[in-house]
Amino acid sequence: MSDPRDEPASVPYLRGVPEPTSGPLWAGFGVTLMFAALVTHALVAMVGFVCAVAGFVAWARACFPEERLESLPTGADQPLPPPALQPKGRESRVMLPAAMHPYRAGLRGGLAGGVSMAVVAVGWGLLKHGSVWLPINLLSGVFVPSVGQASLETLSTFQPGLFALACGIHLVACLFVGLLYTVTLPMMPRRPLIMGGVLGPVLWTGLLYASIGIVNPALERFISWPWFFGSQVAFGLTCGRTVSRARRIDTMTGLPLDERMGVERGGVR
Amino acid sequence: MNAATAQPDTWRPSRGKVGMACLIFMESLFFSGFIIAYLFYIGKSAVGPWPRDVLELKPVLVNSVALLSSSFTVVAAVRALERGRMEAMKFWLLATIGLGAWFLWGTWSEWRGLIEDKGLTIATNLFGTTFYSLVGFHAFHVFAGLLALGTILLLGVLGRLKPRRDTIRFELISWYWHFVDVVWIFVFTTVYIVGMRP
Amino acid sequence: MSTLHAPSHTAAGTSLLERLHGWAITVDHKRLGIMYVVAALLFFVVGGLEAAAMRLQLIKPMNDFLTPQGFNQMFTMHGTTMVFLVGMPMLAGFGNFLVPLMIGARDMAFPRLNAFGFWLFLLGGLLLYFSWIGGDGLYGAGGAPDVGWFAYSPLTSKTFSRGNSTDYWILGIMVSGFGSLSAAINFVTTILCMRCPGMTLMRMPLMVWMMLVVGFLVLVALPVLTAAQVMLLLDRSLGAHFFDPQQAGSALLWQHLFWFFGHPEVYILILPGFGFVSEIVPVFSRKVIFGYTLMVAATVGIGFISLGVWAHHMFVVGLPPWLNALFAASTFLISVPTGIKIFNWIATMWGGRIRFDTPMLYCTGFLGMFVIGGLTGIMLAAVPFTTQLSDSYFVVGHFHYVLFGGLVFAILGAVTYWFPKATGRMMDEGLGRWSFWLILLGFNLVFLPMHFSGMLGMPRRIYTYQPDRGWEMWNLVTTAGVPVQMLGVAVFVWNMIRSSLKGPVAGDDPWDAWTLEWATSSPPPEHNFDRIPTCTSARPLWDRKHPDDPDCHYE
Repeated sequence: MSDPRDEPASVPYLRGVPEPTSGPLWAGFGVTLMFAALVTHALVAMVGFVCAVAGFVAWARACFPEERLESLPTGADQPLPPPALQPKGRESRVMLPAAMHPYRAGLRGGLAGGVSMAVVAVGWGLLKHGSVWLPINLLSGVFVPSVGQASLETLSTFQPGLFALACGIHLVACLFVGLLYTVTLPMMPRRPLIMGGVLGPVLWTGLLYASIGIVNPALERFISWPWFFGSQVAFGLTCGRTVSRARRIDTMTGLPLDERMGVERGGVR
Repeated sequence: MNAATAQPDTWRPSRGKVGMACLIFMESLFFSGFIIAYLFYIGKSAVGPWPRDVLELKPVLVNSVALLSSSFTVVAAVRALERGRMEAMKFWLLATIGLGAWFLWGTWSEWRGLIEDKGLTIATNLFGTTFYSLVGFHAFHVFAGLLALGTILLLGVLGRLKPRRDTIRFELISWYWHFVDVVWIFVFTTVYIVGMRP
Repeated sequence: MSTLHAPSHTAAGTSLLERLHGWAITVDHKRLGIMYVVAALLFFVVGGLEAAAMRLQLIKPMNDFLTPQGFNQMFTMHGTTMVFLVGMPMLAGFGNFLVPLMIGARDMAFPRLNAFGFWLFLLGGLLLYFSWIGGDGLYGAGGAPDVGWFAYSPLTSKTFSRGNSTDYWILGIMVSGFGSLSAAINFVTTILCMRCPGMTLMRMPLMVWMMLVVGFLVLVALPVLTAAQVMLLLDRSLGAHFFDPQQAGSALLWQHLFWFFGHPEVYILILPGFGFVSEIVPVFSRKVIFGYTLMVAATVGIGFISLGVWAHHMFVVGLPPWLNALFAASTFLISVPTGIKIFNWIATMWGGRIRFDTPMLYCTGFLGMFVIGGLTGIMLAAVPFTTQLSDSYFVVGHFHYVLFGGLVFAILGAVTYWFPKATGRMMDEGLGRWSFWLILLGFNLVFLPMHFSGMLGMPRRIYTYQPDRGWEMWNLVTTAGVPVQMLGVAVFVWNMIRSSLKGPVAGDDPWDAWTLEWATSSPPPEHNFDRIPTCTSARPLWDRKHPDDPDCHYE
């Protein structure tokens, strides 16, 4: 048996595990009784005090003068050395996503999708209400509450301010969704075009259907849901197609920063 | 040397020190509850007596000096044990216990004066409520510290202490004792300085 | 600093009494952990029955299954039991069992303090339940506490709460709180001081990180509750005036002190649940956890922010508007690290070869249910929304989605996952699936309608209601879910009992996992590891299984 003082402070219980003791049980019981005495009887406190003192003494005797330990099987007092690890060799791991579309493709897809969506929407205005301006004016109603009260005649005419606003909203939204497509499409299982081109529009059309009364009451008054959905699908398909046909580039996830920046190890692969 | 000590990152903090630090941390949160209550209720008592009428600073200052100087004697006692000078250890430990007991006696006589002469009890007003609970819990912690120090003195007298083995244990108890002193600085500031302002 | 003795209980007799004695005097962290979990499960059943009694009372308008006072006792005891006697000990139990194994230690830092903490928890809980018998006190009024689990003053003053029932609430929770504090000191010290060679802080399993933060939070929050309870006890027994408005005491101070404990407590409860999920999801997705460093940062962030959100429980007491705005902002803020965790788990699952064994089922259930609870939480962080719905069944629905849908699902998954390690036998997969789907269905039947009854204006803690409020249908559905849920829990418990006796032998590493607890036998020997392992990466067991492609090259 080796000298217990040899035990390295960094690996406690290397030479033995603590021996069982009834001290904590009695101490806990005694302390609880002493508190219970406040709502029962002083006698309970006395019993509790005796139990607690006995328990704490037994506890102290398990730690003093030296902690009482049980011996371990032979050989247990040597840490297990690490396995022989091989140096980093082949690249056996895949960091996901391994490759994604460039953001450029998303911006392009957003623009293309925006055009096809606008075509469908303006087509609806022309066919159903005989005005190309109606859908444009309605879109600006997201930010301009007065559009909600305007009459159909007013909304069917060209309004320069509303037109500029609607173009801005449309551009920002399309570019933003296009960027989202760049990131999400490579993650979609199997056919990205169906997921991105149809499922996405279904989801956000549903969301809009539920919330449009709050977001844009003007649009709610005139909207035709089949046409609306059609314009969204037109966006999704065009944008999804543009994005998914773009060449994928390596994300280089998992490479160190210097390698990603191309300043080390021969630059970008 | 085994594999463990050959590794570069085997240093770990001492269990005793971390455990005692946790205990002190937890106790200081407990006290901060009472200190917050005291500060919250300063000057809000519905009826008298008020702190300025009944609290006397002079005896408390003497007591405080006694308690705070016991922090130095306990350090001397730990040093003595570390160097194996058992007689000096016992002397300084006895001095520490004496100073702590003096403080407790001072608190007791202050309380007796407040209760018997000034008629201030825990049920009198908010000042009494917060004063007795804050100072009382501090005194209780001093008492617990005295019990621990007394146990060490007993073991020292019985000759059961070994410098190499027990210095760290004694040092941890002394940490607790320092903590009790530091809490007193906060309690003193709260009760006898902030609380006495008009 | 040790003396060595021959092992005592390896040669212990096999009679029942001797075995029980062995459990009573044990300081072994694994046995204490198991005792914690079993005791918490028993309290879980009791607390569940109390909830069932409340639901039975509310099944129809003007019911008289429970008296008004009995109903108050039920919700008080249900809440107190579930938070203090189920949630905390369950986590202390899992932490006890797992932390030393996961960091490659032979025991906790203070094994005897550990046992002391367990007995204080158990006896404190029994003291609380003794109030059914002893709570009457001198006035013959009382019985169990009936002041709600947050015991707002002045309801708790001697004037309004005769007898000793509230004193039992104080003392029982205080004693078991001392147990939790002992456990917290032990966790922090163990994790900082007992890690095996090579186990740096950033190689610790996430579960261990969560327990470290939980230990810290308990050390901050629980002493404040103890202080508040001591004040209340002084009020009630010595006539002090801390919370006595008639003597200029402040009922608001109690709320501040209680919720300064109460909100960190929510994170004390849920963080270990996050830890379970962070261990289970990677193993069953066959992928490394996504964003380990960020998970650690989010955990520590939650730990700190959770100390500054408590007054969102007090939006309707009339705090100044700037204070309400401040606490609303911090509450919104804390959803950020929580959201990071959710996304990291999803990203871990994404692209993995997911195995939907029962533990993973529970974890996916956890994800869905916890997100719902989290979102309603963000809704309630908005002050005007809370002004409308505070103290309604909407709030009850919200926090049950967090604590039942979140925490309990994580715990049930954890029980299934680590059961083979603790007992050496696998839990039955078929029964596990039955229990999961029953509990999921029952849970949603019970708690989803609460959002609607709350929106319709039904306040929480009412013992009955008028028939013309439009609440009947939602309450009926809620109560109808109870037996489904109880059946699910019964199947789970039956699965545990049956599998511990007859389940197939598990072997050391049934799930092909990567943390150190799976590197030893099942159940582990008393000394945990025949030889203390040396850690080489955040997945030490992976490195041992695949020395040709170890993780340490990627850290």
